Amino acid sequence: MPGPGFRAPAFGRPRNDGLCQRGLPHLLTTYLRRHTPFWISILAGIAIWEIAGRSTSAAFMVPFSETVRQLWLFMWSREFIEQFLDSAELFLTGFVLALVVGAPLGLLFARVRALRVGVEPYIMILYATPMVALIPFILSMMGFGFAPKVLVVFLFAVFPVLYNTVEGARSIKPELIEVAKSYRSSEWALWREVMLPYTLPFIMTGVRQSIGRALVGMIAAEFFLSATGLGQLIMGASQNFDTAGVFASIFLIGLIGVGLMRLGLKIEQHFARWRQ
Amino acid sequence: MTSLQTTAASNPGTAAAASGSEPRIRVKGLGKHYGSLEVFRNIDFNVGEREIVAIVGPSGCGKTTLLRCIDGLIPFDSGEVLVGNQRVTEPIAGVAMVFQHFGLFPWKTVSENVAYGLRMAGAPKAEIERRVPEFIKLVGLAGFEQAYPYQMSGGMQQRCGLARALAVGPNVLLMDEPFAAVDAQTREILQFELLRIWEERPTAMIFVTHSIEEAVLLGHRVIVLKGRPSGIHEIIDIDLPHPRTRDTLRKPRFAELRERVWSTLMREAREAEFVLER
Ligand SMILES: Nc1ncnc2c1ncn2[C@@H]1O[C@H](COP(=O)(O)OP(=O)(O)OP(=O)(O)O)[C@@H](O)[C@H]1O
Ligand SMILES: [Mg+2]
Repeated sequence: MPGPGFRAPAFGRPRNDGLCQRGLPHLLTTYLRRHTPFWISILAGIAIWEIAGRSTSAAFMVPFSETVRQLWLFMWSREFIEQFLDSAELFLTGFVLALVVGAPLGLLFARVRALRVGVEPYIMILYATPMVALIPFILSMMGFGFAPKVLVVFLFAVFPVLYNTVEGARSIKPELIEVAKSYRSSEWALWREVMLPYTLPFIMTGVRQSIGRALVGMIAAEFFLSATGLGQLIMGASQNFDTAGVFASIFLIGLIGVGLMRLGLKIEQHFARWRQ
Repeated sequence: MTSLQTTAASNPGTAAAASGSEPRIRVKGLGKHYGSLEVFRNIDFNVGEREIVAIVGPSGCGKTTLLRCIDGLIPFDSGEVLVGNQRVTEPIAGVAMVFQHFGLFPWKTVSENVAYGLRMAGAPKAEIERRVPEFIKLVGLAGFEQAYPYQMSGGMQQRCGLARALAVGPNVLLMDEPFAAVDAQTREILQFELLRIWEERPTAMIFVTHSIEEAVLLGHRVIVLKGRPSGIHEIIDIDLPHPRTRDTLRKPRFAELRERVWSTLMREAREAEFVLER
């Protein structure tokens, strides 16, 4: 029992370590000290890109400034926005599908050993198969609609989620499952209260890996199935020797990928805040 | 030593002496194998409705296994366990276990961990909101409601585990070396707090421990497990008066009983079957 004069510290949300009291200049110097290498590297990269772009033919490569200018123009182009939204719809549908299938299936595999052992070889084979090689097969099976393209994105994205979920859920301490049993938890409550909260950070690790793969799947589907979206834009621009258009589109996809992965990392950290 | 009452293993014991009524737990002829390893055989004892039975035995003699069988967590091979009139085949309502490893959910705060048992028991929301702070206070964790397990010491974590078990209002408490992983001082504090809580709301309790002092201090009877496969070697009545306090530790009778249990365990150690851990 805490003795007299004992004060319980505030728990829960991470503390701010009093940064706000020390004022803006301090914040700024801390930020700079921590991130200087990052910004130096980024600036150097942009500089090399700029120089390389300016000293080669515009048919091969455009400099950074030209790429950004083109991107700015795209933002005001109705056609670009439409194609962008088209791609976004494909990406999100396939990606969300991968998440809602991969995560529950992963938990199920972790819980039912026989199922996992039975299905594992097929999963390993599919995971190891270059998905692009499956595209002709999907084309002949399902044609040119939206569904086959979603399937391609799904296949690219589902395995990292599935794999990380299974591995995560399997690492739950059996003692904690036993605690749940001892308190007469139902199977559903075991999933909701124990398996899912424990596995969420692992699922998010899978999600981050899936983001990159889903973007690849999106472009592959748009290249090799019916040409739509950003994939079509890139192909069209490349056929017209519009190198700036190609660079701007690819640059945008890269930015979105990095942004989504950072977001995923933040969510992962949020769900993992109970770890020391 | 001869003045001490001891009961043969074949006799389920004098539970009534301490409880004054029907036994709450009846363990009859219990036997358990893990594959080819026979852990224990022929375990017979009763626990009264308001009785604490302490179980001591060397490491690996099957104390945890025995508690898991009684809690209905694992199947056993022979015999039966009755809690009240109910045969145990799976965990039953009204029995709560406190684990050697605390068993807290690291992603839940103290409040959420304490609420867990109540929620699993389907308690209404209002009752949960009323009982959780009550039991957090009872175990001395007030102010730590929002702490995560990693932010707390071992002693505080086990207080939380205790609150979670007590909150469901059990009539049977199964304690598996609950204080083994905390430092000596905290352990002593927790022992007396457990006694205080038990005096307030007495339940049937099985208390597994490595510590002879702890067994004698808490138990109305002490069961000594021995052998390989293990069985009940002796059941020793602890006729120290209640409520037990720090004074109890200084009574000559306490020392006598402690020596009695000690020599029982040592006799076994001399048979070189196990290394005795105190
Ligand atoms: N799940 C299991 N599978 C196989 N053998 C087991 C299992 N659990 C325990 N054992 C074995 O059964 C015996 C009894 O283990 P148990 O954990 O019950 O001992 P214990 O008396 O609680 O020991 P301690 O005092 O160290 O906690 C040990 O030899 C142990 O190796
Ligand atoms: Mg044990």
